[in-house]
Amino acid sequence: MNVKTAAEPPEAPPERREPFMTLFGRYLIEANSVMVTIWSLLLAFAIGAVLLIVSDEGVRGTWSYFFDRPSDALSASWEVVSSAYFALFEGAVLNFNTLDRFAAGTAGFGDVLRPLSETLTYATPLIFTGLAVGLAFRAGLFNIGAQGQLIMGMLGALVIGFGISAPAIVHLPAAVIAGGLAGAAFGAVPGVLKATTGAHEVISSIMLNNIAALFLVWAIGTGFLHSETRSELVTKPVDDTAALPHLLGFLGGSLRVNLALVLGFAAALFVWWLLSKSTFGYRIRAVGFNSHASATAGMNIGRTYATTMGTAGAFAGLAGASLALGINAGGVTTNTALEYGFDGITVALLGRAKPGGIVAAAVLFGALKAGALSAQPGVPVDISILLQAIIVLFIAAPAMVKAILRLRTPRGGLVTLEAKGW
Amino acid sequence: MAVTATDVAARAEERGRDRHFIGGSVFAAIGVLLALAAFFALGADRTTTFRLDVTLTDARWTIPTRPAVIALAAVCAAAGLWLLGGIRQRLYKIASTCAVAAIVLALICWAVSQPGQSFRAESILAGSLFLSLPFIFGALAGVVCERSGVINIGIEGQFLMGAFAGVFVANLADNVYVGLLGAMLAGSLSTLLLALLATRFQVNQVVVGVILNLLALGFTGFMYDQLKTTPGANTAYGVPQNALGGLGLGFLSDIPLAGPILFDQNLFVYIGLAMVFVVWFLLFRTRWGLRTRSVGEHPAAADSMGVGVNRLRFWNVTAAGLVSGFGGAFFTIANSLAFNKNMTAGLGFVALAVMIVGRWNPIGVLAGALIFGFASQMAEDLDAAGNSIIPGPFLQMLPYAATLVVVAGLIGRAKAPAADGVPYNPGDE
Repeated sequence: MNVKTAAEPPEAPPERREPFMTLFGRYLIEANSVMVTIWSLLLAFAIGAVLLIVSDEGVRGTWSYFFDRPSDALSASWEVVSSAYFALFEGAVLNFNTLDRFAAGTAGFGDVLRPLSETLTYATPLIFTGLAVGLAFRAGLFNIGAQGQLIMGMLGALVIGFGISAPAIVHLPAAVIAGGLAGAAFGAVPGVLKATTGAHEVISSIMLNNIAALFLVWAIGTGFLHSETRSELVTKPVDDTAALPHLLGFLGGSLRVNLALVLGFAAALFVWWLLSKSTFGYRIRAVGFNSHASATAGMNIGRTYATTMGTAGAFAGLAGASLALGINAGGVTTNTALEYGFDGITVALLGRAKPGGIVAAAVLFGALKAGALSAQPGVPVDISILLQAIIVLFIAAPAMVKAILRLRTPRGGLVTLEAKGW
Repeated sequence: MAVTATDVAARAEERGRDRHFIGGSVFAAIGVLLALAAFFALGADRTTTFRLDVTLTDARWTIPTRPAVIALAAVCAAAGLWLLGGIRQRLYKIASTCAVAAIVLALICWAVSQPGQSFRAESILAGSLFLSLPFIFGALAGVVCERSGVINIGIEGQFLMGAFAGVFVANLADNVYVGLLGAMLAGSLSTLLLALLATRFQVNQVVVGVILNLLALGFTGFMYDQLKTTPGANTAYGVPQNALGGLGLGFLSDIPLAGPILFDQNLFVYIGLAMVFVVWFLLFRTRWGLRTRSVGEHPAAADSMGVGVNRLRFWNVTAAGLVSGFGGAFFTIANSLAFNKNMTAGLGFVALAVMIVGRWNPIGVLAGALIFGFASQMAEDLDAAGNSIIPGPFLQMLPYAATLVVVAGLIGRAKAPAADGVPYNPGDE
């Protein structure tokens, strides 16, 4: 993402060093990127709380006689909000029930770690899709197509996963790479279209998402992919030699977090290296910062678009591979991809398109997803999408956060996305 | 070196007789391939039947499929050769339209040639008009926004908000028309946020538009889950099928062909068609329209003439939400359906493509929307008929694939308003 600072002339350096607490206090009331992130999270959870209260029938009832007995409405509202957020926390971080049972000796240590394992499990594809969106951001491209690229990666990994037989040392890497390549091929299409015809990547990649989703429906139904033992729409399982091994299997079978998480960290590290140390990354950043100047300097803009989208697609494809060979090794359904690709957009925005930020944002949103899924049916599952969207809405518009909370403009200006046209 | 008038004329003539190598060879190749495929793969006994299925149920025209497809393929190939040989610039459009129409007709002849199938002209054309509505409303909202210089990529989200609020408010008020009002307001609420962010906080409009889509997806999904347990919160409401019947004009629907297509539709169709002309009139024949277009093309110039750029953009974008929110009600109220999660299925983005096809012009939007409506209706029809050669999911891909082709083929030539997506900050100039 193009970080543009609306620069103001730097003031003369102060003569006297101010005490730490003054500086820290000033930092807290500034709209710098750390504080904007914190306030975005708090505001999003506050808005989520209001929606939980408004949409709950029982609580709405108590508000109708608020002026007669305000304690009823307040306690009922507190009850519904705190129980929902508490359920999210228990599903994502630590379940106190399990902790009690562990203390009493009726549950293993693995059971205590289960929520954290789920969080990391859901964070894994988000790291990949976040990198897929974030890398494209740095070239000034908006890759909404991560969902479709993920689906293609999933199919690619799946085909190699059960189609060939080889020892694990060959089979697993081959299947992972196949997923990455399938995603890269699919991801390169919007880049090539933008380079050759000028078609905006947002529209073309959205269309490819729909096409990929429908292709998946058809592909699962074909005799080649469809499960031989089950009648519903599910594919064959991948061979054991191609399945990603569990990381914490020795602590209990329910800990689903697998090797893909390590691959995710490695991918983030690779993107960091790519962007800050390699020629290709320099070109990506140059084109993203100012494509006209880059063209004048002799860079091939079209080729950079195509290769960047291809690389981004490869990461989304790896997300698909991590699903098809990991938690869904038993068979892929039309529902396997969830909204990981779209969540990648929010992850990349919250992570400010930087690899470290993306990993942190992926873990946060993975926690939201794990919490929302485990809190069924008490809490609406879409609360995770809702909270994510509100958070990144504030992140994308720091000026709004600043205006709502009357924060001060930090020295050097607000960190914001560069606005540009079609 | 002086450029003489004859030079200019000669160059214009040279440009006038352009050779379109790519288009020409593609059309010629498709024509030849289609003819060969028809010759070898189509049985000689296959026939294609066209029927007026609603008014004159006995009338039918049957033609042998193989010669028809081969003749149409020949038309396509001939147009391609004509393009290859050089053609006047103003005939280029006509030739390529002929070629594309011939391909489409040939494919339709082929697709409905199986025994027991027929081309039910009236139902299909009426359905096409009906299915083009979300594209009309969405693209019109996009036209108003983008003509004022704000990219509205959140049409999908406005559809979802409208679809949800339409049903929800209709249930609250127990009146479908109040529901329609609710849908419009919900769409407008969504664009209000976009307008505020675009004019006051100068954000990246594409990114915020996508986030607003996610927000609408999350919000409507969340509310759907919360209201699932409340009885009578998400019951389907519909509008009467024949809107003209209520006005005593029901007899018009008996006219062959035109009757079922134009005079036997519900309220949404008439409002949609009226909106096309209203928006066209407002944009190109009123003072507001001139100001809006100037704000989208050159805000600094408009500002210097005393137009409040950001204020006009704000109100235009907010008002556009009324149109796209109404379009959202199509998914629920016009179809008499209850709300369901993500029921708009990406059609908001197709509407965006329709806006580009229509070149940011309401009349063009109508033409583009009808083409996309026809594609959707044909896909639905062939899918429902079963025994099609093409699997269902591929037929459902048709509108999306068409969008991709159109966007790739047109966007380079279709010019967006110059200041589209660029925030206006008077201090910058």
